[in-house]
Amino acid sequence: MPATTKTNTQLVVNGLLNENPIFRLALSMCPAVGISTTVANGLLLGVAVLFVQVFSSCTISLIKDHIHPRIRIPTYTLTIATWVTVIDLVLAAFLPVAYKAMGIFVRLIVAFAIITMRLEVFACRNTVVASFWDGIGMGFGFMFGMVALGAVREVLGMGTFLGYDVLGFRPMLFFVLPAAGFFLVGFMMAVFNYVETVYNRRAKRGL
Amino acid sequence: MREILKITIALTVSCLAAGLVIGTTFIFTAKAKQQNEHLNVQQTMFGLLGYGKHRPAPPELRLYSVYRYIVEQDDAMRMGYLVPVRKGSGEGYAFVVLDLKGRFLESHDLALTAEEALSAEDRKKALLPELKASAEIAFADTMIIACMGGERTAYLLPGEFPGFKTFIKAMVALDPQFHILGLEVIEHEEDPGLGGEITQDYFKNQFVGKSFEKLKKLTVIKEPLPDDYKRYLETMGIEEGGLSAREVGQIQKHYQDKDIYALTGATISSAAVTNGVVGMAKKFAYRIRILDRAVDTGQVPVLF
Repeated sequence: MPATTKTNTQLVVNGLLNENPIFRLALSMCPAVGISTTVANGLLLGVAVLFVQVFSSCTISLIKDHIHPRIRIPTYTLTIATWVTVIDLVLAAFLPVAYKAMGIFVRLIVAFAIITMRLEVFACRNTVVASFWDGIGMGFGFMFGMVALGAVREVLGMGTFLGYDVLGFRPMLFFVLPAAGFFLVGFMMAVFNYVETVYNRRAKRGL
Repeated sequence: MREILKITIALTVSCLAAGLVIGTTFIFTAKAKQQNEHLNVQQTMFGLLGYGKHRPAPPELRLYSVYRYIVEQDDAMRMGYLVPVRKGSGEGYAFVVLDLKGRFLESHDLALTAEEALSAEDRKKALLPELKASAEIAFADTMIIACMGGERTAYLLPGEFPGFKTFIKAMVALDPQFHILGLEVIEHEEDPGLGGEITQDYFKNQFVGKSFEKLKKLTVIKEPLPDDYKRYLETMGIEEGGLSAREVGQIQKHYQDKDIYALTGATISSAAVTNGVVGMAKKFAYRIRILDRAVDTGQVPVLF
């Protein structure tokens, strides 16, 4: 894949919609399904992924010319692990409140497919600036997916939203469990695909 | 061959660079992190005793730490307890050594200040010259005894036990009869949304008020948490919780001898916490009785 020709705005929109990590690329499904049980959980994991993705993307695009092609993946993993550790330590030392809420999410990230994949596909072929915006787009895209899943699962599974009781009862406890997470991801993928087909059909008719 | 060498060198250099970055960050953050942890533990301790922002701890409340060591000397295992003692008009520390049957063997006075006692290294430095050169000591755990006006009001037990993924660090508070006063999860890596719910009030408050008798055979049950109980657990300790005193009394009576309701989708984490808490409380009750007896026999002027 050659270097990107997209503008920065296009890169961000791309991460949010066209190549949404959860609904289009179907990457990092385990954490997405396991953790998106509430809006707050989804949001916190999203923020954690955003930071690690942006930092790792920038690092890799900076040193891309010095990476030996046969040890790309180990280098990516090393970079991600380093950033995860650094963020974990800094949060623990200087933002204890944030660390209490986000600590477990940050440590979970090391093995996320979405970050490695973005480094492999995008960051090692593009400039630092483009990689930065791609990281932002992917991070927010992941966050958007997690929050969307979390909202549906929290309301349907626990009858609450952001911890506040909105329904007063638990409609379907099933939605809290991981299996329902997969079900919901599939359903939302279908919605994404449907919107895309309709959009493309309209665009064609417009021509 | 050249390719292999190149790869090896590249990997080594990347690992070294990563190590350097992490190491530098660690050096800059270690002190602040430790301080935060210490503060966190302090807050947890006061919280478990029922003191917080709105209810400051009374000045006569004292927390005494007792450090337990395993001593290996002359091919025999012994127990050692580093305890705070009266020394003249002030306070000092002594090391009480017991044999495995709990009999008092000896007591050493230690030259240790209150500040030094907080650091594991300083404690060891003060301990080693008192023991025989062949002796080896290993730190086991800490227990904290809360006293008010010479009376014991609670025991605080920091500890860790295996969870679903890795160790869960927690602190259990017991009253002088070893009934559970409270549980606080300090650090864990359970899955958020599932096992991570062990930090929620509606789970950990289930332990509050369980008697020592009940505790001995406490298990988890896989039933949904009843709504009235959940409301009670979540409003526990809040002045205006919405539950009347009569309701609270009824719920307490009804659920007093129930087992722990497991978290939805996280039975293993729930069982791990339950077993961990039970184990900590049982072992502590056994040890403190032995220590009390030994301290009596040895006439050690302990502060607690």
